Amino acid sequence: MSWRARTVWDRVRAGAPAEASARVPSRGLRRLLRAGEVVLFLAPFAAFWLLFRLGPVLYGVGISLYRWDPLGDVQFVGVSNYLRLAADRRFWNALRNTLAFAALTVPGILALGVGLALTLFTYRGRPATRWVEAAFFFPYLLNVSVVGLVWRWLLDPDFGAVLLALRSLGLRPPVFLNEPAWALPSIAFATAWWLAGYRMVIFRAALEDIPEEIFDAAKVDGATGWRLLRSVLLPLLKPAALFALVLTGISGFIVFGQVLIMTAGGPGRASEVLALYLYRFGFEYLEMGQAAAVGVVIFALILSLTLLSFRWLGYGSAG
Amino acid sequence: MNVRGLARAGIVLAALAAMLWLAPVLWMFATAVKPTPHIFALPPVWVPSVVVWDHLSGVLTKWPFLRWVWNSGVVATATTVLSTVVSVPAAFAFSRLQWRGRDAVFLIFLSSMLIPLEVNVIPLYFLMNRLQLLNTYPGVFLPIVGMPVGVFLLRQFFLNIPQELDDAARVDGAGSWRILLSVILPLSGPALAALAIYMFVFSWNEFFWSMIALSSPRMFTLPIGLRALQGAYDIDYGVLMAGASLATVPAVLVFLLLQRHIIRGVTLTAFR
Repeated sequence: MSWRARTVWDRVRAGAPAEASARVPSRGLRRLLRAGEVVLFLAPFAAFWLLFRLGPVLYGVGISLYRWDPLGDVQFVGVSNYLRLAADRRFWNALRNTLAFAALTVPGILALGVGLALTLFTYRGRPATRWVEAAFFFPYLLNVSVVGLVWRWLLDPDFGAVLLALRSLGLRPPVFLNEPAWALPSIAFATAWWLAGYRMVIFRAALEDIPEEIFDAAKVDGATGWRLLRSVLLPLLKPAALFALVLTGISGFIVFGQVLIMTAGGPGRASEVLALYLYRFGFEYLEMGQAAAVGVVIFALILSLTLLSFRWLGYGSAG
Repeated sequence: MNVRGLARAGIVLAALAAMLWLAPVLWMFATAVKPTPHIFALPPVWVPSVVVWDHLSGVLTKWPFLRWVWNSGVVATATTVLSTVVSVPAAFAFSRLQWRGRDAVFLIFLSSMLIPLEVNVIPLYFLMNRLQLLNTYPGVFLPIVGMPVGVFLLRQFFLNIPQELDDAARVDGAGSWRILLSVILPLSGPALAALAIYMFVFSWNEFFWSMIALSSPRMFTLPIGLRALQGAYDIDYGVLMAGASLATVPAVLVFLLLQRHIIRGVTLTAFR
């Protein structure tokens, strides 16, 4: 029987303490009590959520319509912050860099994650897989400053270990972080190193959710190797891939820490991304309205990515 | 090569790749204890022959490094405790109580997961400024507590607990709070652990919002402090790697102790 049918009041009415049954509440009152209970359960979380999440979203849209002078002069300017963005070549550069960064990291991280997960899954049960999994996962626990500093050191143009290793192989590598064409891809590479193990764990869990019968059936049908992978495993990973795509895409759109620490947006503005643009306009140039407008743009990007992914990969099986 | 040989080769290859994957971390530790001339030696010194503690002690004495660790601990603990305490009843209402509009309200909560802190920093800055919470612990953790990930995770878990248990408890006269505390929670250990680990790691590592909310070096959390180190020593990699290594030690220790729980926690919190 459901919760609906059994409240304190139902039991009271069903026949018990006399002093209570004298005042059986009306249906309306009971409904109100139930609603009150739900509200009580939701209220603590809802308070945080309204004040620090939904509230700021709306507030942010509001701010983006104002010119916010640090001296206290606040002026409604309508969409002119957005028009200023549209006219700013630096903004378009940041947008392009952000999209390029997402285009570099998302497929890389997902492919690495799926590949590693499949490898571990193939060798499941062996003690070595536990250590391999741990090694690939570990960087995810490092904070972004550590990741940024370590990779900046590894890619240092004069003494970086990566350059020295490549040179010792007889190659002539570019000076990664100091070369406009290489700065963003280098940051993307460090990001993949940081996050691929996390994706690996998620995909591995998804693989382990696949019922054993499916493998048996595939074996009966003679599907092995690539055929098993292409026709059975990858389609079953689709829901996992959908969310991985959305979440990795979002983390690409909001990339900030690695960029700030590894290149600070340079050389020139070759790696300036939207979040860095937002930070500089908001907290260095004190153009709060324009910065808030960039926040709205990032949100629009995330929303479109989500809707597109749902369209490509379907809703149904998700979750 | 026969099939078994091929399989063995595969796992060996994976193990080698895994070691290469950790090389950046090992390089960081090595740099932290190398004498400065070795750091910039050509050809590079991969394994230091002498171990020096100058960089490490420099970070600890010239910077409020331990205070940063403490700050991170306070923020992460507060986030973890608060978000668990508020998420549990909300997840209960979304999974064990029937009410009109429940799924619609949940969908609205859920879709707000798509809004990262980064998008919200300007309005949050204004808000926290008005509440006079900038440069304080609550200023950092309050926005993180509002993240719906906990409600989502716990709801999924609660939904899989048989409804008969609630019904039996109600027959015995238990109210909803009682059911939550004595029926649902005792069964939810793994989900609560997963949530706690996720929130702790997330808030321990949070960067963008903390950087904006915190301005005085003594209030910095670890990631923000490390970034400040970089500002001061642009090329002193010994000091930078010492700081990064010290910041990594807790992660290594916790991971060695809790590896299985952490990985399981991650899979429970993630959408799959």
